[in-house]
Amino acid sequence: MLQEAKRLKYSLLPGGLVSLLLLGFAFVLFFILFFSQEDASVAQLDSRVFSLLKFTLYQAFLSTLLSLLVGLVLAWSLAHQSNFKGRSLLVALFSSSLVLPTLIVVFGLISVLGRNGWVNQLNLYLFDHSFGSYLYGLTGILVAHVYLNASFASRSLLHVFESIPKEKYKLAKSLNFTTFQRFMYVEWPALRTTLLSIGSTIFLLCFTSFAIVLVLGGSPAYNTLEVAIYEAVKLDFDIGMALKIALIQLAVTTLLVLFSSNFRTGVGNVKTNTLIIPWSESKHVKRFQVAIISLFSLFFILPLLAIIVDGIGADFTRILSAPLFIKSFFTSIGLATVSSILTVLFALFLSDTKRNFTLKHRLPDSTFSKILNIIVSFSGNLYLAVPSLIMGLGFFLLSQTYEAPMAVWSTIALLTANVLMSLPFALAVLAPVMQKTAQRYDKLVFSLNLNPLQRWVYCEYPYLKSSIGYVFALSFCFSLGDLGIIALFGSDDFSTLPWYLYQLMGSYRTSDAAGVALILLAITLCVFILLPRVFRSSVAKHN
Amino acid sequence: MFKLIQILLLTLLFSITSIASDTKPTLTIYTYDSFTASWGPGPKIKEAFEKEHNCNVKFVGMSSSIGALRKIQLEGKNTKADILLGLDTNIAQAANKTGLFAKHDLDTSNLDLPVPYTDEYFVPYDYSYMAFVYDENKVKNPPMSFEALAAMPEDFKIVIQDPRSSTPGLSLLLWVKEIYKEKAGEYWKRLAPHILTITKGWSEAYGLFLKGEADMVLSYTTSPAYHIIEENRTNFKSAHFEEGHYGQIEVAAMLKSSKHKDLAKKFLHFLHSETFAEIIPTANWAYPVVKTKQGLPKVFKTLTQPSKMILLDGKTVETHRKAIISEWLHSLER
Repeated sequence: MLQEAKRLKYSLLPGGLVSLLLLGFAFVLFFILFFSQEDASVAQLDSRVFSLLKFTLYQAFLSTLLSLLVGLVLAWSLAHQSNFKGRSLLVALFSSSLVLPTLIVVFGLISVLGRNGWVNQLNLYLFDHSFGSYLYGLTGILVAHVYLNASFASRSLLHVFESIPKEKYKLAKSLNFTTFQRFMYVEWPALRTTLLSIGSTIFLLCFTSFAIVLVLGGSPAYNTLEVAIYEAVKLDFDIGMALKIALIQLAVTTLLVLFSSNFRTGVGNVKTNTLIIPWSESKHVKRFQVAIISLFSLFFILPLLAIIVDGIGADFTRILSAPLFIKSFFTSIGLATVSSILTVLFALFLSDTKRNFTLKHRLPDSTFSKILNIIVSFSGNLYLAVPSLIMGLGFFLLSQTYEAPMAVWSTIALLTANVLMSLPFALAVLAPVMQKTAQRYDKLVFSLNLNPLQRWVYCEYPYLKSSIGYVFALSFCFSLGDLGIIALFGSDDFSTLPWYLYQLMGSYRTSDAAGVALILLAITLCVFILLPRVFRSSVAKHN
Repeated sequence: MFKLIQILLLTLLFSITSIASDTKPTLTIYTYDSFTASWGPGPKIKEAFEKEHNCNVKFVGMSSSIGALRKIQLEGKNTKADILLGLDTNIAQAANKTGLFAKHDLDTSNLDLPVPYTDEYFVPYDYSYMAFVYDENKVKNPPMSFEALAAMPEDFKIVIQDPRSSTPGLSLLLWVKEIYKEKAGEYWKRLAPHILTITKGWSEAYGLFLKGEADMVLSYTTSPAYHIIEENRTNFKSAHFEEGHYGQIEVAAMLKSSKHKDLAKKFLHFLHSETFAEIIPTANWAYPVVKTKQGLPKVFKTLTQPSKMILLDGKTVETHRKAIISEWLHSLER
């Protein structure tokens, strides 16, 4: 065992150090949060905290349920309508929901569904009736969550549909199954586990939802714990209260992460199978499926279209020359670049270390390896247990104790949050590929006695290249669009694009906000589409 | 060679210090954003004060005055602010507790205020009455009391401000508390369905109202004057509430950590000058605290004149503020 470890030291050490660093960070964070409490405030857990918790759980539950339902019906329709025009484009578009800045989504939704939005204006014009302002409050939160998560869920579920062996469909057909029976006996068993794991991920994401609730909540009645932490610090300067809420939030998220299965969501590159399911749908079912796809596409595309339409009219010379815009732009791009590089490095190191524990020919002791594997995986998925506002609060408390310019603290806080946020996704993409290359080349590499650099250049990189490009783009966009910690640290001196956009929206400078939203959307989509192309490789395709 | 570098460095050093000593002192004032806006009083006051005292004035606008206070609290002793302007008497005591502010040593006893005023730290500069503002063309029968407001149809929506972040928001809370006493929580429960959204500061709420998202907005009796004088629009009115209107006295104070204390004191003194008092009515849309020769613009006579100013003592507010806010938060939950 020890000798094996010695031989693998270059593969074990970097990832081990990263893992230790991350866990150390988590420990420091817990330590700060726990010990900055004043004894007096611990006892009084007032009913407000409980009702906050209740609402947070309630909305997360509803959001998850709706997202899964919509995502399932959509994936089912897409799977059976492989001839639908523009299908692959739609699927690719839905997968971009992962990187769309939440604030942009909110902005687009307001343009379409708000009191003065397209839907209401059309309705007012046609039927002289307005639906009013339903978008503030629970409805708005649910709509935005479904927008982001249902499209995300449908992507993963579509994958499952397409991996069902075609023979099963043929068998079902020969048994003369109805559409419902087919779903119950062929499709449902395959979907169940994926539904559970996506469900738990969506639940966590909605539980810690921040930007959406902040903008669309509109009242303390619709606060999630995350927003309540923000308000306690930013509005009330009541650090005691913020800590109280943060500790409860931590307790719940940790429990959720422990109970939910691994973070398995399949966020790999989009490649939908074009294999046609051997089953022609009946007329009604087909109509229903086409309607579902069309409706959801409309729901998904209209807000994006609204951003483009609203944005084009904006006064770009004014926007681009505003000093705060320029500052925010460069801060955002700089932070996104640094944090995406760090994310890729960390994810590579971690998955390199991880495969030592999962491959039998590397480290044989199974229980020991299993535990280490869990520890390394946990360190990479830290963000799910420690959501960004809590991290922000920790950094905030540090900045109160240790004197340094606010900009330094803000940069460190944002970088940490961005890297931790993208790591789970990065690991989900890179770890399986690295596992595969190790399986394939370990014997060869060990017999040729290649050093780590040679191994990387000849074996790993050609296979990882396109995944690295994807992860790079993903974490760049995550970082670019995040309105989390910056909400605590943002000021005129330190600002990012989402924070600037939030400020503009907050002061209802709609035209400027529309322009900035368009710029942010354009950068995000460009990076998300172009970066993976730069990294495209011919080897990985045949993999 | 070495000497040459030395000389170069020295000249560089000299030029930097000479540039630094050449510039006038800069007075940094943290305040709320509508004060610093191009149409607000900020630019005019900056110009007048800079001319009078040969200095630079830099306004830093936050979404609300309490937001500005929070920024100062975050920055602590390192704050760049010399003056905080825009809190009101309700929250000034809370600000005072931070120990960051300095005494002003000015005589405030002769000011033209509806209520007697004494405070060693905070200097009043204008006052107004809280009121709900509506568009006459859209709202035909505005509510004339809090009871009538709660009894409006379900789709009648108002925008208010968060009492934790904005002074008008806190004023509304105290207004309701003063009228309903221990039944205030129950009243908020009844009002809740009418609240479209709760914003961080006044400008957000007012912007939302002007965009047509809500029927009424919590603002001031003096707000319609802006639309009449600046836009020639007379359709904006403030609803006259029978119960009386809560007053708001806006105040400013200088920071202990200020590096320009003399200048800051001069600025606080300037708040009671005629120049300042003449700018306030048509720029901050409030009543000045000193009488001017010119008097108030005529339009001000057409505004709602509350029968009585309800105003709680700052110390009383501070004792109960947390409890009142917590009661409000509880009532809004469902």
